[in-house]
Amino acid sequence: MHLSEGVLSPPILAAGAALAAACTAAGLRRLDGERLMSAAMLSAAFFVGSLIHVPIGPGNVHLILNGLLGMILGWAAFPCMLTALMLQAVLFQYGGITVLGVNTVTMAFPAVMAWYLFRPLLGKGPAARALGAFLGGALAVAGAGLITALCLAGTDEGFLRSAQLLLLAHIPVMIVEGLISMLTVSFLARVRPELLAPR
Amino acid sequence: MQRFLSPLCLAFVCLLLTAGRAGAHRVNIFAYVDGPDIVAECGFNRSSRVRQGLVEVFDAVTGAKIAEGRTGDSGIFRFPVPAADIRNGHGLRIHINAGEGHENDWIMDASELNDAIRALPGGEGGSATACAPPALPADPPASLPAVPGQGGWATPADVERIVDAALSARLAPIQRLLARQSEGGPKLADIIGGIGWIFGLAGVAAYFRRRR
Repeated sequence: MHLSEGVLSPPILAAGAALAAACTAAGLRRLDGERLMSAAMLSAAFFVGSLIHVPIGPGNVHLILNGLLGMILGWAAFPCMLTALMLQAVLFQYGGITVLGVNTVTMAFPAVMAWYLFRPLLGKGPAARALGAFLGGALAVAGAGLITALCLAGTDEGFLRSAQLLLLAHIPVMIVEGLISMLTVSFLARVRPELLAPR
Repeated sequence: MQRFLSPLCLAFVCLLLTAGRAGAHRVNIFAYVDGPDIVAECGFNRSSRVRQGLVEVFDAVTGAKIAEGRTGDSGIFRFPVPAADIRNGHGLRIHINAGEGHENDWIMDASELNDAIRALPGGEGGSATACAPPALPADPPASLPAVPGQGGWATPADVERIVDAALSARLAPIQRLLARQSEGGPKLADIIGGIGWIFGLAGVAAYFRRRR
């Protein structure tokens, strides 16, 4: 869902940049030194995750991992994703620099939503944890798709058609991400439970 | 050292290696002249072409739209080279819109297009006699052979046409090779570099936090 350069109008780009800057500042404040390495790990996973291709017929979709990042990092997902997206733009020309703010908000905002909605479930029993992780992973991808469609509302395709196309194409990704989140969270619960403790 | 990091790392790297090439993050377009036409090849990567993508052709200087069309199943959109008067002698900007926010441009220089126009069968002024040097017998046009080789007459125009056709055939595979190279996915060096940057930044941040 990396939007390319030249697709969106300057006001949207500016709004996206401003929103991303504000949320990144909030995220940096909440990023304590203890979690810095975990944040870097997850940021690297997000960076590489986009290269993992989920086959879906004629389409082309990739893993996003924003749900997982959001549920573990919360607001700190913003600086982590901003860094990874900037590196993707500079090194691979994925997305672009002017559209970096919008792309960050697209992926990090659903991540923070996942934090508020599903993080409380992670601290409870194994069943709740598995459900919360799966839903957080899956629905964060849907959220990213919806925000992308919103940004494309002004273009030829319009919101409804973009939303239809994006969500339909990303259903396999949602399932795969839900599963990955579920597995990762259950692994962390055994090895580093403090990362999932309620904060 | 945090034990869970290495298994996760390994799992992601393995996933990365088993999966194929990267998916759609940017759409690539590569355009070249092939005989009397311009061919625009559009794809997300080597194996995934743009189907029914919208291709628009603009004057590179004025921005006026000259042509429009959709790519086929192989991601190719072919259209005739616009005559010089239509594009005011300027180059072209070929724009692909593959949907869902994926767009890209290819700028084609006027010099490439001028060569193409000269290669057109009708482009030499429409008359073999007009290009014939004065030394050739001044027969009426009807007596000149319609096909080069018959009767032994091969006019300069015919020679140019034959050479152009042969060159196009030779150059086509090279152009396709260039197209493949220009749309290569992220290299391993870039991936490792990016991961290095992330940990480097985290390290710098950790250092400064410790100082406080």
